[in-house]
Amino acid sequence: MVEPAYTVTSDSETTGEEKSSTFPEIAIGIDIGTSQCSVAVWNGSQVELLKNTRNQKIMKSYVTFKDNIPSGGVSSQLSHEDEMLSGATIFNMKRLIGRVDTDPVVHACKNLPFLVQTLDIGVRPFIAALVNNMWRSTTPEEVLAIFLVELRAMAEAQLKRRIRNVVLTVPVSFSRFQLTRIERACAMAGLHVLRLMPEPTAVALLYGQQQQQTSHENMGSGTEKIALIFSMGAGYCDVAVTATAGGVSQIKALAGSTIGGEDLLQNMMHHLLPNSENLFKNHGVKEIKQMGLLRVATQDAIRQLSSQTIVQVDVDLGDGLKICKAVNREEFEEVNRKVFEKCESLIIQCLQDAKVEVEEVNDVIIVGGCSYIPRVKNLVTNVCKGKELYKGMNPLEAAVCGAAVEGAIASGVNDPFGNLDLLTIQATPLAIGIRADGNKFVPVIPRDTTMPARKELVFTTTHDNQTEALILVYEGEGEKAEENHLLGYFKIMGIPAAPKGVPEINVCMDIDAANVLRVLAGVVMPGSRQPAIPVMEVRMPTVDDGHGWCAEALNRTYGATLDLVTLQKKA
Amino acid sequence: MISSVSFLSLPFVNFFDNAMASSSCCVKSWPIVAFATAEARSSWMEQPRPSYLNSSCSSPYDILGIPVGASNQEIKAAYRRLARVCQTDVAAIDRKNLSADEFMKIHAAYSTLSDPNMCANYDWSLFWRQQQ
Repeated sequence: MVEPAYTVTSDSETTGEEKSSTFPEIAIGIDIGTSQCSVAVWNGSQVELLKNTRNQKIMKSYVTFKDNIPSGGVSSQLSHEDEMLSGATIFNMKRLIGRVDTDPVVHACKNLPFLVQTLDIGVRPFIAALVNNMWRSTTPEEVLAIFLVELRAMAEAQLKRRIRNVVLTVPVSFSRFQLTRIERACAMAGLHVLRLMPEPTAVALLYGQQQQQTSHENMGSGTEKIALIFSMGAGYCDVAVTATAGGVSQIKALAGSTIGGEDLLQNMMHHLLPNSENLFKNHGVKEIKQMGLLRVATQDAIRQLSSQTIVQVDVDLGDGLKICKAVNREEFEEVNRKVFEKCESLIIQCLQDAKVEVEEVNDVIIVGGCSYIPRVKNLVTNVCKGKELYKGMNPLEAAVCGAAVEGAIASGVNDPFGNLDLLTIQATPLAIGIRADGNKFVPVIPRDTTMPARKELVFTTTHDNQTEALILVYEGEGEKAEENHLLGYFKIMGIPAAPKGVPEINVCMDIDAANVLRVLAGVVMPGSRQPAIPVMEVRMPTVDDGHGWCAEALNRTYGATLDLVTLQKKA
Repeated sequence: MISSVSFLSLPFVNFFDNAMASSSCCVKSWPIVAFATAEARSSWMEQPRPSYLNSSCSSPYDILGIPVGASNQEIKAAYRRLARVCQTDVAAIDRKNLSADEFMKIHAAYSTLSDPNMCANYDWSLFWRQQQ
């Protein structure tokens, strides 16, 4: 088999680089959405979106492997939209990255033209592209790296300088493991990640800058504005509630879910052709083409329903399979009722977590590709009691502009007019804790904790003379441990023998200013002032792959023998 | 029983205490009301307080540099002003951990004073102490 012509940079190139430039190397902002992407940079006085050779600011997120040489949506142009659905092109990479094969999101991707296979045991899914009638395997990280190489080349060509540092937007619901995969893809592309910003946080930063420019308020004073930020793209739905004054934006709450335009599309495809999963199961050339035709027709219909109330779907899939159906907007909304209800619940949850009443919200900001869907606009407006939507942002550009502003700030750029006198006080999107109290998830750092953060809880043994404890670190919101993402594990050994409930096991979690998570654990016997054994400090995540399988294997191997319970505080 | 060993008092805090004395961002000092032991204070609070606040004798008002009984708007303005100074995204690498510890103290003080229940308890305990 012919080796691909491209070269992916090795990790080592990202370190020890000689600095030749005398100017500050400004980080660029990148927003790789599930279906679209964009790049922006602070040009000295404002944010500028970069364009590719076809003068496009918004580009499609895909990599095609036809002709054996992979190329992404940045530089290449597919001759027709059908070509993206031929099996040779991989898209939805942001939806696949960092997921295990038991994830329903991975299973939903089996309905796509490229190949996704699962063993359903908690390992990585198998992914392949159809190249010259041969399925060629790849990984989401590799696809993303190829895409990033093209983005980097585009940026370097336009800015006429080397690009190393980037700020990327990420979904709120991304786990720390998924963040490591994003960073890995960037490293493969020769890029250094300065920040990974939750998408609504990037929008909040842009909003903070706009408020600063509008009011010219004094630093640290002035009227506080509460903003609700709703972001829904092809793959993810994110919500944030922020308080902004004097250029300082405080993220009061974040909420996110893996729902987006792709779910609307898949539900609609299933509605038009109820038996499609079985029909397309073989993934033969004929089935792939049929999938593609159905997908294009459904996409067109959904797009048209944003501006008209009824649309005719006419598509001939071959083999006597035809769809000829009028679809109206109410039908589309009913088919996707659960998706819209989930969006609504995210907004309500976020307001509750922020302890903000709807009446206190000054601005309602809605961004992302799905913000053009009437039902999406309506549900946000309804939750916010009919408040008018904020008009100061382009829905498709807000996140990348915010990332570019953060790139400038993090690069140390000083703007004489004060346009970069901004600060975003960030919050943890997910709770982090350990397994304790009989397979419960016990958060040590709760969701929406202001970062940097350091919090601790005290636990104790569950068995008489227990001398070891297994610390399993999870991230998420589920009540049971396994409902969350396993980040890592370690064992505390050498606990002094004592009746159960006597040793005090202190578990501290620290998130530093660079969003690095460390877990510290120590053992203290009552009445003593010194740790009984050396304190352990472990940087997370430690689980590199197969974290779905890993949790089950640990449970099978150790059961409850090394369990801990929360120590009830005495008065 | 409160654990006598805590990770919240990492060595950096001590370094910060020294650095703070000479730092240009030192918070303004206000008359400090002496406190008794941590055990005595904890009996007033509905919730246990971060132990590193116990290790220093600064009150949340002192940390934010505002007078006792300041309004909610004053509390927020002070928080934002100090957050800018301490948690700049461009903090030098060697100052990063210092900034993180410093910001955590400021945020903890802000959380105490901006929570109506905790603030009332704190003000009441302060009042009670002043009667001694």
